Amino acid sequence: MPPAPCLYLALLIPALLALAALVHQPPRATLRLLTLGTTAAVLGLVPAIATVWSHGAMTAADGWLRLDALSALHLLILAVVFLPAACHANLYFRAELDHAGFSRTIRRFAALWFGSLAAMILVLLSNNLGMMWVGIEATTLLTAFLICTHLTPDALEAMWKYLLMCSVGVAVAFTGILLIAAATAHTGLPLTSALLWTSLIEAQQRLDPSLVKAGFLFLVVGFGTKAGLAPMHNWLPDAHSQAPAPVSAVFSGCLLNSALYCILRVLPLAEHVSGHAGWAREVLVALGLVSMTVAAIFILAQRDIKRLLAYSSVEHIGIMALGAGLGGLGVFAALLHALGHALAKPLGFFCAGTVGQIYGTHEMKRLGGVTRHVPVWGIGLILALLVLIGVAPGALFLSELLMLKAAVDQHAYWIAALFLAALAVAFIGVLRRTIAMGWDASAPPPAPPPRAGLAARLLVGIPLLLLLALGLCVPAGLADFLRQAAAIVAGGQP
Amino acid sequence: MNPFTDTLLVVLLLTCFLLLGTSRLAAGVRLTAAQGLMVGLLPLALEGSTIPLRIALLAGLIAFLKAGVFPWMLLRTLRVSRTTRVTHPLVGYGTSMLIGVLAVGAAFWLDARLPFSSETESKLVVPVAFSVMATGLFLMIGRRTALDQVIGYLTLENGIYTFGLAIVSGIPVLVELGVLMDLFVAIFVMGIAIYRISREFDHIDATQLNTLKG
Amino acid sequence: MTAAPCLHIAAALLLAPLLPGVVNRTKAAFAGRRGPPLLQLYFDLAKLLCKGAVYSRTATWVFRAAPSITLAALLIALTLVPVPGAPALVSFGGSLFLFVSLLGLARLATMLAALDTGSSFAGMGASREAQYGALSEPAILLVLAAFAQTSGTLSLSRLFEGVTPALWHASGPALGLLGAALLIVLLVENCRIPFDDPETHLELTMIHEAMVLDYGGPDLAFVLYGAALKLWLFGALLVNLVLPLRPAHPTAGVGLLIAGLLATAVAVGVIESCMARLRLLKVPLLVLGASALAALGLALLLRSVA
Repeated sequence: MPPAPCLYLALLIPALLALAALVHQPPRATLRLLTLGTTAAVLGLVPAIATVWSHGAMTAADGWLRLDALSALHLLILAVVFLPAACHANLYFRAELDHAGFSRTIRRFAALWFGSLAAMILVLLSNNLGMMWVGIEATTLLTAFLICTHLTPDALEAMWKYLLMCSVGVAVAFTGILLIAAATAHTGLPLTSALLWTSLIEAQQRLDPSLVKAGFLFLVVGFGTKAGLAPMHNWLPDAHSQAPAPVSAVFSGCLLNSALYCILRVLPLAEHVSGHAGWAREVLVALGLVSMTVAAIFILAQRDIKRLLAYSSVEHIGIMALGAGLGGLGVFAALLHALGHALAKPLGFFCAGTVGQIYGTHEMKRLGGVTRHVPVWGIGLILALLVLIGVAPGALFLSELLMLKAAVDQHAYWIAALFLAALAVAFIGVLRRTIAMGWDASAPPPAPPPRAGLAARLLVGIPLLLLLALGLCVPAGLADFLRQAAAIVAGGQP
Repeated sequence: MNPFTDTLLVVLLLTCFLLLGTSRLAAGVRLTAAQGLMVGLLPLALEGSTIPLRIALLAGLIAFLKAGVFPWMLLRTLRVSRTTRVTHPLVGYGTSMLIGVLAVGAAFWLDARLPFSSETESKLVVPVAFSVMATGLFLMIGRRTALDQVIGYLTLENGIYTFGLAIVSGIPVLVELGVLMDLFVAIFVMGIAIYRISREFDHIDATQLNTLKG
Repeated sequence: MTAAPCLHIAAALLLAPLLPGVVNRTKAAFAGRRGPPLLQLYFDLAKLLCKGAVYSRTATWVFRAAPSITLAALLIALTLVPVPGAPALVSFGGSLFLFVSLLGLARLATMLAALDTGSSFAGMGASREAQYGALSEPAILLVLAAFAQTSGTLSLSRLFEGVTPALWHASGPALGLLGAALLIVLLVENCRIPFDDPETHLELTMIHEAMVLDYGGPDLAFVLYGAALKLWLFGALLVNLVLPLRPAHPTAGVGLLIAGLLATAVAVGVIESCMARLRLLKVPLLVLGASALAALGLALLLRSVA
């Protein structure tokens, strides 16, 4: 594996852009920097992803940075989320351009945006579990003030809850990492490589089982808090509903996935030391089912569209955890689900955010007839919601079907039944609201919005087309890539 | 058993009890400073006679950050948020101390049952680490003000660091520095957040931040 | 064999009233005064013994008997306390429980007498004394239990035999914690600042003083002498704990004890001069802290010996 300088570049570009965003310039220029900078950063990732897709893993920095199929997939997800989010941020903040103090707000927003991008890339590129932890904690801290971009009491409350819960969760995860480092005590690994994932995988025969199991539990609880797995998900609805739409999109599409990615990295280790009996996977299955059930129940009671989307994220993370826990085809399905969710959920947040701006409220009772009053964004919202609850022929329908097949193949009928029940409850809850929002004529119409331009149509149309395409047929190359990533989770072969 | 190490650990435990019993926020911040100093000196005590330069520098940096920089930031936050009255905590101070005693007992009991042995020669490090972690978690749950929650978080981090000293013989320097930098930014961000909350709400009572429900 | 204990008891009976004198002189020195003479309590006792007592019509035999019961209990407890290097006059397995129970009996008699007078201030003092006593008893029991565990015996006189320089070197912090807990218990039980001001006579702030407000003549002499003995008892325990010397010669042991007690009295005087009295709401917290320290010391001592 030749060392790759493009990995350094992937980290450097967002970091430099974060510094550049602090420069005093008019708000329009900062917004332009936001969009163009994110495009540049994302394009900088493409060569790396392409190389791993075709040739396999690559390393840098003496083995501390590494990109293999699993991390490359998550980088792809990051790219797919950040690029539209940056473009949408441009449209979203346009209404506030002439507000007083907006210049400072948007500069802080842009700096934190690029900072969190850099931190998330660090998480995905790290081969060292310690650096991965540093990246996750950095994402918590940098995204905290993105939530309260507008300093309202509710936003501050959401930000404080998020900051504390996720900091405690990540601190617990650090205990897990310490336990795993302690498990290498008698394996003869040198100190500097005791935390490298590749070394751990190589030495997995000799690791102390009880320490790895204890560490895995701490890591699941800790990173599970960050990922939004119930019962540690309490910060999620508040944070997602109070943050501006682009930030919510990044949270749901990218941040939760990155936290789950960290759990997936440790899963093969835990599986191996427990003799492949499925102990570790059962933990994930349990957490996944609990998340889905809790999310489904709370979805029925939601009145705010963004909170509804947030609980839907909890449900989908639960589905991904369940898939990873089922193993085999389930992991493939979970990764495909992650990709589909990363396309659909940001779209949902963009449309909900813009529609909310136009109507002046996020309450679903007052968002009536969006398909007629707000043509492009309204239709986008309805279709996004439909795809998210798994309506065929969306990509999420396909991944959920594969997951069901995986469960039935393993004769885990109870799991399959609970899975279907939770999906059904969420389906009914969301569909009720979707139909009301889409075609209900009784709600008062908003002030006529400006005509949606080309950018809006592209932002809404492209993800929908991709979701449809993925749902109908997963290209062979992508399927192969997903299979490689799934193999890493299953067996830990680097 | 090294008496210096044991004295440090016992003082660390005493700071836990004092944290549980004190009602003044400034005193709590200074106690975390004392804890940070103990925790910074602990690697030096555990090393023995010859101390590598790397460990000495790192210990110095940790002691400087935890005993100097963080309390300064938190006291500054306390000053600018103009918190004067401390309302009753969710769990009374006497009850907190009793729970602290029970937590120490549970920590010692747990340590006797753990399947792994401590890397260090002192048998006290792991129970003390658990006690400090439990104190931190309890402070976050049982107290009202946002600053108390930050104090609890700092205590939790001190406990986790002590635990790390006990079970891992060493962490790469870069990871240590990364962790310290994260902690620094965390306290910084939390300080700013508390300032903003105090500006917006005129108090820093975290139990009153409960309008978002369901 | 019994020379040292007899010597110790004689010394205690003779020299106990000296201790409050030392405390008061130390406090006066801090305040820049000359203070009362060292032997002031002796003069007070002599004066009181010659006076008559006046009893209220509402008081019963409880009130009249209490000072005698208290003094008797404390004298019996005195026979149980060891000297560094020699056992106590009366020593048997379980004597530490008898010791704590006798102290409790003394407190009970005082409290009942206070309630017996029907005076509201005395009742208030009794209730506060009950609360502090309830909180400080676990502390002293834990301290004694720690040493019982390490020495393997429940006899008070043999409890401190294992306190040698080796033990201090091996588990210094644990012994330090236990000593601190015992010091706090000493201050609580003897009604010293920061728990109770022995010189206050403001009705709402008295605790011990409130209970003995109505005594006069020989009864008051017994009460004051009993208080001095109590200080001697707790001081003796503290000296046994702190001093790692165990001399073989009996007089050396007694002399060491007396020296230690004088040092303890000076220390109490210093503490009283440097601290203010705590708010009544905070006192339970500090006494609970003593129990916590004792529990911690017990755990550490068990750990280091095990």
